[in-house]
Amino acid sequence: MSRFSGVLQLTDLDDFITPSQECIKPVKIEKTASSTGAKITIQEDGYFQIDEDGSAQKLQKVEITLSDCLACSGCITSAESVLVTQQSQEELLRIFEENKNLKLQDRTEDAKLIIVSVSIQPILSLAVRYSLSPSDCAAKLSQYLKQLGADMIVDMTIADDLALLESQKEFIRRYRATKSDGVKNILPMLASSCPGWVCYAEKTHGSYILPYIATTKSPQQIMGSLIKQWVGRSVEGRQIYHVTVMPCYDKKLEAARDDFFSKETQSRDVDCVITAIELEQMLVKDGISLDTLSNSTFSQPWLLKDDQEISPLLTRHIGSGSGGYADHIFKYAVKELFGEEIENLEYKNLRNPDFREAVLEKDGVVLLRFAIANGFKNIQNLVQKLKRGKSNYHYVEVMACPSGCLNGGAQVRPKDGTSVKELASKLEELYNSLPVAIPEQNELVKKLYDSWLGGQESDKSSAVLHTQYHAVEKIANAFNIKW
Amino acid sequence: MLCNLYPYFISETLCEVNNLWSEPAQLQEITTRSKFHTLLTMGKLELLQTLKKDDGRVWNVAWHPKGDAFASCGEDKSIRIWAKDMLGKWSNKFVLTEGHKRTIRQVAWSPCGNYLASASFDATTSIWDNHGGEFECNATLEGHENEVKSVAWSRSGQLLATCSRDKSVWIWEVAGDDEYDCGAVLNAHSQDVKKVLFHPERDLLASASYDNTIKLYRDDPSDEDWLCCGTLTGHESTVWSISFEGNGKRLASCSDDHTVKIWKDYPPGNPEGVATEDGDSTWKCVCTLSGEHTRTIYDISWCPQTGLIATACGDDAIRVFKEDEGSDSNAPSFSLLCAVDRAHNQDVNCVAWNPAVAGLLASCSDDGEIKVWNFVDT
Repeated sequence: MSRFSGVLQLTDLDDFITPSQECIKPVKIEKTASSTGAKITIQEDGYFQIDEDGSAQKLQKVEITLSDCLACSGCITSAESVLVTQQSQEELLRIFEENKNLKLQDRTEDAKLIIVSVSIQPILSLAVRYSLSPSDCAAKLSQYLKQLGADMIVDMTIADDLALLESQKEFIRRYRATKSDGVKNILPMLASSCPGWVCYAEKTHGSYILPYIATTKSPQQIMGSLIKQWVGRSVEGRQIYHVTVMPCYDKKLEAARDDFFSKETQSRDVDCVITAIELEQMLVKDGISLDTLSNSTFSQPWLLKDDQEISPLLTRHIGSGSGGYADHIFKYAVKELFGEEIENLEYKNLRNPDFREAVLEKDGVVLLRFAIANGFKNIQNLVQKLKRGKSNYHYVEVMACPSGCLNGGAQVRPKDGTSVKELASKLEELYNSLPVAIPEQNELVKKLYDSWLGGQESDKSSAVLHTQYHAVEKIANAFNIKW
Repeated sequence: MLCNLYPYFISETLCEVNNLWSEPAQLQEITTRSKFHTLLTMGKLELLQTLKKDDGRVWNVAWHPKGDAFASCGEDKSIRIWAKDMLGKWSNKFVLTEGHKRTIRQVAWSPCGNYLASASFDATTSIWDNHGGEFECNATLEGHENEVKSVAWSRSGQLLATCSRDKSVWIWEVAGDDEYDCGAVLNAHSQDVKKVLFHPERDLLASASYDNTIKLYRDDPSDEDWLCCGTLTGHESTVWSISFEGNGKRLASCSDDHTVKIWKDYPPGNPEGVATEDGDSTWKCVCTLSGEHTRTIYDISWCPQTGLIATACGDDAIRVFKEDEGSDSNAPSFSLLCAVDRAHNQDVNCVAWNPAVAGLLASCSDDGEIKVWNFVDT
């Protein structure tokens, strides 16, 4: 069963076409120049070119990387095979092992500093799986990852806060540009934190839709910049290997984007993405039940001081379990644009609970119309409305998975007798039981804006916290034409 | 002229069919089929009219629900509407162009007859409104990744289904004036989906695929979504087309494996004691017609009026089957009533019984021709 979101499965990712059969990426084959008459034979250990004089030369195998696949419209890559080699548990364990060996050989300075950033959704998934409280689960997961060889485990809330604050400001910029300068095609602003949705938009709708997608990076990639750039500066030349723990496979694709390869550090901002279901598999393989482990701490390396260990204390944001983008932006916009305060957003279900909208109305006039659209079906209706000019939204929180990120494609599967829906509502309940974090009140974030990013709205913060999207041109190719 | 009632007539070109039929070689071939209880000619297809060559192959013909007109489509990217002229001959009334950029694979009339849906290899499905004989394309359904292979309306006309080489089946809800919302995206098949068709009496959808199976889907009231509620396995190759019996109690399928299969609906609590799951019917294969077709069977049509089954085959023939008198509904037997061996010069892509006029059959082929036939008992 695939762990990609349904959106990507439909776009041929995880397709039955494997790269070996139908990959259309042109590859230069290294072989000696020869006159005609050379033959290629297939032998057990590879393909050989047999020249006229009878000499055999082994032909190179075509290597396709995940980023090749992402840049191609051929088959997004059925590249589970490609993914598996670059973003797998095996790769992670190999890095852990390599690092351990270096440390054993007293070559600590050569060993990488392995930092694991943990997002909230997979912790809740594992907490339900092992019947733990969220914070306990985080503490025990920290212990497990450290046993494997991780140096630091960190909470990603700080990146969530940055993403929310940046999205709020970006929305106001777009709204004002539309209202006062008449700029077109920038509203509705569409959420950018779901890589399944972004990848689908790039491959399928290209320039139609991309201008609407927020340029604010996803929390995963903001975390990537924070760890590699800001924390990386303070670790005395040690190379950082950055792992994120995520609720879906699509995040692996996001981490592999060329946009997130840093020339400065010559590495990806996120080196490896591991998901809840993979962690469960690793635990099962190691014969460990998470609840039997002792509690360990989370680190705050961005404080750049020695005493930075804390017991994990998990929080949530108001709004959806996908990060609460619609709620935060709505509230901020109400205040910023209309000088009012609202307590709670009331959503009205439209076609189904995964498509709901909230409006701000004054004297019978709709001032703001926001929506949350989860799952492929609703994305489809949204995109089609947008294309036909029939969308009247200002902002839409778009997530590829039905029910959003708490129900991410790589969350632990429900045990026998529980339905996916029951598990999703259990996770929602657990999420809503957490104390609320308010991004504006995060002192640490304010400090980071000042010390790292040169202030809010600075050139550096827009360079570091924003990204861009690339329409993928469809390639017409003979393989694509079938009855 | 769209509202002409169809008078039975026989005056048109009858010719070649009878000639072919009387050849001794034909007779011989038929007698070898006796294991299917085939008697010698128990009926014949008379060719009424051959309609002018289109550019390129004709993929599909679809009768208007009133039975007084039909639409055809094909490689020339246009839709043609045919109805009878003053002389009672089928003639081309409209050509609808500019709706699609590539081959149009199938056309389907809404049950009310006011809308025509067209499925194209350009990945879109168009809806044409019929305003008193003028056709206008007022909606285009986009979303499939690549070639749309088939389109079907539900009985109420409130739902549409489409399927594609992208392996998905989509359900669209009529949401108001020229508005169609995507109601479900179903990824049950593992390969190219060739055909979708709604049950004639309830909102049950069937789809046939290159993965050799037929899948059934229904609404899940708890979820406002659709779910796959049955997989019919048995064909050994691509299932090209399906057709429900008039009352919806059985389904006929045709395949690249050269067979036709009949599937029977066994609802929960059926007297035969066939096990069912989750309150859904079990559709069980109760009959396989093999040995008759020599190539891929591309289409099948189960006449709601006469109960006759017609097939369109890659061996250029059209065949008509009838259920035997007194056949056991749990193990029915069907007999070949007639076969027109060179019905067309190339693959026959589609056969369609007229919904109002018993025995009237339309067919179309790779040879670019559309033919109208009349089945008569002999």
